[in-house]
Amino acid sequence: MNRILVVDDEPHVVRVLRLRLERAGYLVATALDGESALAAIEQSPPDAVITDIQMPGMSGRELCDRIEELFPHRTFPIFLLTSRAEVEHREWSKKISNAVFLEKPASLMRILSELEDYFAAGQAVQR
Amino acid sequence: MITSSLAVIILICGLLLADYRQSRETQVRQQGSALARLLVELPLDELVPSRGRRSVVDALAYGLRDTSLAYAVIVDPAGSPLLDVSKPGMIVSAAAMVAEPSVWLEEVALEFDGQPIMEFRAPIYSEGKVIAYLRLGYLRPTFGVTRDHLPFLGTIALPVFLLTPGFYFLLKREIKPLRKLRMEMEAAIGFDEAQQIEREASDALDGILDAFTRFVERSRRRIADLEEHRGDLITSSKLIGYQRSRIETVIQSLPEAIVVLDEAGVTAFANNKLSSLIGINPAGVVGSRPSEWLVEDDLLAYLGKCETKGNRGYANESVEYSPTNAPEKTVALTAYPLFAPDRNAGGARGTLLVFRDVTLESMAKSARGEFVAHVAHELKSPLNVLRMYSEELLNADDLAEEFRVEAVNVIHDEVDRLSTLISNLLSLTKIEMGSLSIDRQRVKLNELLEDALNTVSRGGLGADLQFRLRSPRVLSPVAVDKDLLRVAINNLLTNAIKYNRPGGEVTLAAEESDEAISIVVKDTGVGIDEGDVDRIFDKFFRSDCESVRKTSGHGLGLALARQIVELHHGTLSVSSVPGEGSEFVIELRKEPGLVKQAI
Repeated sequence: MNRILVVDDEPHVVRVLRLRLERAGYLVATALDGESALAAIEQSPPDAVITDIQMPGMSGRELCDRIEELFPHRTFPIFLLTSRAEVEHREWSKKISNAVFLEKPASLMRILSELEDYFAAGQAVQR
Repeated sequence: MITSSLAVIILICGLLLADYRQSRETQVRQQGSALARLLVELPLDELVPSRGRRSVVDALAYGLRDTSLAYAVIVDPAGSPLLDVSKPGMIVSAAAMVAEPSVWLEEVALEFDGQPIMEFRAPIYSEGKVIAYLRLGYLRPTFGVTRDHLPFLGTIALPVFLLTPGFYFLLKREIKPLRKLRMEMEAAIGFDEAQQIEREASDALDGILDAFTRFVERSRRRIADLEEHRGDLITSSKLIGYQRSRIETVIQSLPEAIVVLDEAGVTAFANNKLSSLIGINPAGVVGSRPSEWLVEDDLLAYLGKCETKGNRGYANESVEYSPTNAPEKTVALTAYPLFAPDRNAGGARGTLLVFRDVTLESMAKSARGEFVAHVAHELKSPLNVLRMYSEELLNADDLAEEFRVEAVNVIHDEVDRLSTLISNLLSLTKIEMGSLSIDRQRVKLNELLEDALNTVSRGGLGADLQFRLRSPRVLSPVAVDKDLLRVAINNLLTNAIKYNRPGGEVTLAAEESDEAISIVVKDTGVGIDEGDVDRIFDKFFRSDCESVRKTSGHGLGLALARQIVELHHGTLSVSSVPGEGSEFVIELRKEPGLVKQAI
């Protein structure tokens, strides 16, 4: 069972995502900010991370930078939810391996299909 | 006058007499020497005949008796007289003769009885030996006026004497107008008034005077003209100076830094703003090229473009940069061609460089961008939640009932949040643009406060909180915009609920003093970090403090509340103890109109 870490400062978003992903058969961990997300990753590395970019305190970008820095050999992808599909993000994301941008307001369907695609591809490679 | 004429006569007579004497002396000398030469040629015995006979000298003396011949003496070499013919009373003194005379004729000046004598001596030879000497004595002509001279002198003196007064009067007559002229000129130097010089003069002077008068008159007019001209010049130069200083003041007072480059691209002028704006001393740049005082490469590239392309190079574009000497500023440089007033007269006469401080504009630009980004984020966050929940409700049939209830509640809350956000945004924008007109009415504050507190306490939020209203039973009515003030109080109350601790208190109180009414919103919540107190009224500011992050909000409520209070000429202040609670105070002055009238 694939483990997903959901990071968002909006409790409602975290909650609905957890419910939806659990129903789809994932194991879900949640974090309301970057610090606790890093702690969760350290404890047990997930198979994918979904994070909001705009968060008070540590932003999604900072979180990604820290993940790059702390886990240079990670294999899990990072799905970034952003309300701003800005060029600066795109420039920056080139430095981050395995990052996917999802524009807000993001549909649950879209997130699920992205995850499914990713894991399906992964399995194909493994075979 | 008589004295001077006499002096003239005496002078003339004296000169005449001196001349007469001189000519007489010459005459005597010629006669004497000629006679002496003649006589010494004769044999001695003819000169000194034997007894009884008359000598030649006697005849000669007789013939010359009326002349000044005084004596004719022949002496032997020893000096004894051999013959003596002399005028009566004239005693010829003996004189030693030289034995070997060196000259044939000698003139000796002697004096007999007070009379000066010119004596001519010549040796008489016989057979190569000096046998005797001839001495011819003449009376030396003197200055003395003799009776003979009187008619001659009289003839001269009379006309002189007669003419002198004539000359005198004539001169005097001619001098009189000249003197008058002098006086007139002295008066004219004073320029008392332009009076005609009166003339009483002969025809000869008349012309001169006339011309002179005209000359003086013209000079006077010319001087008056020049004076007037000079006055005009002084006035116009003062005017020019005034205009110059006015233009200079304008140029120096411009908010922009101005630099003028001449046709060769050399700095000709720079105003003082150059130093305050980009930190370059304007006096130091005159006479040098911009490349010598501008260090920023992109500016030089921009100026170079203007230079190489000629007039077409001056587009309306400008270049923005942060000066090296003032990096905190943003300055826009624009180059304009300088044309002569008559544009057809030729190409650009130089370049005008305008340095404009656009710090505020660029700050405003980035602030606007930030604002839009904030708004977008704040709008999208609730939309995100709405989308996810509604999607779940739509697609999942097998949802638990409690999730449905939760979803509907969340959707309801998020729609509320969106709507509050949008109305706050609109109000803020209106206030900032000045297009919000406030509708002041006399309001009973007690009712307003009670109503506001009831609304928020019933709103579902803070169900476990204690709400208190403390206000005097009677409060003076105040003139406020009821709806706007309600929004401000509502925002403060909402914060007091959101950031409270479970089971805490929210107090809404009113206090009245002579001049003002204070509305106090107090909570027992998390308080505000000291470092955040100054920023909580900024738009979109949200503290990084954990308790704040957990609470939904968009950072506009306090900004709007303050704007509304300030619109009422009131103040909104805050005091807070982190961990214990915060107290927001709206202070409204009572009846500002009446206070004004009282003053």
